[in-house]
Amino acid sequence: MTSRAAAWTLPGITERRLTTLAWISALALLALGALLSVRNESAFRHEMGRQTNAQADILAASVTAALAFDDRLAMRQYVDALKANPGISAAAVYDGQGNQLVSLRLGDAPAPPAHAAPVSTFWRMGRVLATRPAAEQGQVLGYVYLETRQDSLSDVVNRHTGVGLLTIMGLLLLILVSLAAAQLQARAGQLTIANDRLTEEMEARAQAEEALRQSQKMEALGQLTGGIAHDFNNLLQVIQGALELIRRRSSDVARVETWAQNGLQAADRGAALTRQLLAFSRTQKLDLRPFVVAELVAGMRELLIRTLGPNIELTLALDTDRVPVLSDRTQLELAILNLAINARDAMPEGGRLVIRTQPTVIETDPVLEAGEYVALSVTDSGEGMPAEVIARAFDPFFTTKSMGKGTGLGLSQVYGVARQAGGEARIASTPGEGTTVTVLLRRSEQAAEAEAEASGPDPILAPAAGATVMVVDDDTQVRALLIETLNLLGYEVLEADGGATALEVLATRRPDAMLLDFAMPQMNGAQVADRARKLWPDLPIVFASGHADTAAIKAAVGDGARILRKPFDMNELARTLNGILGRTPADAG
Amino acid sequence: MTRRGSGWIGGALLALATLAATPTRAETGALEQAVKATYLYKLAPFVAWPPGAFNATDDPLVICVQGADAFAGLVDRAAAGQRVGPHPVLVRRLARLERTSGCHVAYVAGSQAQSTAQALAAVSGSPVLTVTDAERGPARGIVHLVLNSGKVRFSVNIGQAEAGGLAVSSKLLALALEVSR
Repeated sequence: MTSRAAAWTLPGITERRLTTLAWISALALLALGALLSVRNESAFRHEMGRQTNAQADILAASVTAALAFDDRLAMRQYVDALKANPGISAAAVYDGQGNQLVSLRLGDAPAPPAHAAPVSTFWRMGRVLATRPAAEQGQVLGYVYLETRQDSLSDVVNRHTGVGLLTIMGLLLLILVSLAAAQLQARAGQLTIANDRLTEEMEARAQAEEALRQSQKMEALGQLTGGIAHDFNNLLQVIQGALELIRRRSSDVARVETWAQNGLQAADRGAALTRQLLAFSRTQKLDLRPFVVAELVAGMRELLIRTLGPNIELTLALDTDRVPVLSDRTQLELAILNLAINARDAMPEGGRLVIRTQPTVIETDPVLEAGEYVALSVTDSGEGMPAEVIARAFDPFFTTKSMGKGTGLGLSQVYGVARQAGGEARIASTPGEGTTVTVLLRRSEQAAEAEAEASGPDPILAPAAGATVMVVDDDTQVRALLIETLNLLGYEVLEADGGATALEVLATRRPDAMLLDFAMPQMNGAQVADRARKLWPDLPIVFASGHADTAAIKAAVGDGARILRKPFDMNELARTLNGILGRTPADAG
Repeated sequence: MTRRGSGWIGGALLALATLAATPTRAETGALEQAVKATYLYKLAPFVAWPPGAFNATDDPLVICVQGADAFAGLVDRAAAGQRVGPHPVLVRRLARLERTSGCHVAYVAGSQAQSTAQALAAVSGSPVLTVTDAERGPARGIVHLVLNSGKVRFSVNIGQAEAGGLAVSSKLLALALEVSR
């Protein structure tokens, strides 16, 4: 196959060059044909001239005596004998002075000249005209004239048939080659167009996939909203209750401590919940990194419980082998969430959901390459699925849910994630006994990355006396809370309600650190930080942000930015400021 | 009446014809003599003499006129400056034709000194192309000139020619009125 293809390709010669070569060959053929024609014709004329001369000489020799003795009758006989020769159209005999004595004219031939022409042989209008002397023993007795029949068209055609055919075939070849070249060029053009279109389509498809992933996330979020809202109400209820109790019984110091603790715990849980939601809603491109699936699932426990609701019991059976897989963390979280939502919908009366992770070695498989995988399986005790539904379960937009309950993108997203990580998703289900969806993810060669945002273990509330912190926030309440907290931690505080005020203050004073809200009107945190650094290049700046996307902040202010994610508690604030000001908790203590 | 009339008309016509014909015949005769004079050298290219007839390649071809001085003048004029092959043409008048006269062509008219027959006999068997004229008598040489339909024609006797070692071209024979042996 390959060798045959190679045989048809001349190395280093492009199609265009081949065409040119073919043209040159064909033109050379034509030129050769023309040359041959000319040579043929010239040879033919030469031969005809020679033959005519020979004939004329024979006539001349025959009539010498008749000329000598002026025997017209004899001359006439000799000349008339030429009638038998089909090649001759006219003849004449002249005396020594060139006067015509006898002439012969056949058919439509022109009459021979009345007076003898000089001795010569030449072509005129396809005839050979020959005038020869009639001499005996060197004595010129007269002249004879012979004229051949005109070359008919068919004679000419016959004479040049070979060369003509050659020429016609050369021309045909030329036309064929030109056509073929044009066709090739057109095809190349079409290929280019097709290629461009394919590229465009691929880009469009990539965009569509991006949009699909986003919409899958949004759908999952929509599914979550109901449950989450309920949870939030519960958490707020706890916080509100705690605060209410603290307000009414503020004198009961021992119990106030407990109530405040309860309220803070509830706020923590709410914060964890919103952090996860925000992480989902982030618009980001696929970010393939090695991580451990069991750890990811463990981190989702809270969210999963909220998603499943109180009627479903969640069991996590996670391995401790720390086998890394290469995937997108958010996408896999979303896949697990999708599976949980499906399981919840399959168990309206409640039931059990088991999420299991298990390293697996696959040796022979029709789809997967042999190797090490991590099997992530989600098993419910729900209705199960019939075979025909299983067959189409991974198709996009296929859903058995009623209108408004789902788009049918959930399982296709799960399948997509699995394929992306070099694995596959499989469904095992028995109607009435539940469903197990297994996502096989290929083991990564790279070691798992530790999750960036690990919170410190011990609460620290260390006062740091003497340092000045500038607080910039447009929200009066948040600003007041921060100032109070910082005061409690032992810092002196400079406050500003926006970038302009902050820069005014900075013009005269350098604080030890600046706590800067990112999202502010007129001038955002990044812009303020930029101007502040111009005044005090080494000024430590901490951004406080409720914004989900730390990447956006990092893009705006550089990698070195320190970011406090709202809501943060007092310990986090203290730890961060201590870190910036170069004090360890021990120093401060 | 009619007889007399026709006799008169016939006599008148005869007279007219005679009047008209007399000068014409004289002219024709002169023309014929001139043509015959040219024939003497024109015959030569069609005849091949045996080796030895010419001593050198550029020896003259000698045309002898025996016994007709007036005609010899015509021959002289006709042959002046003519050549036959490499040979210039020379005209000689003779009273008697002999084997030793050195003639190649001999017009034999006969004279008081030597009759036509005697002259022919004198060169018989030698390479001399003898030419006789029917106008001047019945004796025949190799070529015998005859007036035919108002034109000068000739007969050829190959036997005599061959006896003298002469070869006569077939082209000439083709024009002859009669070819004999």
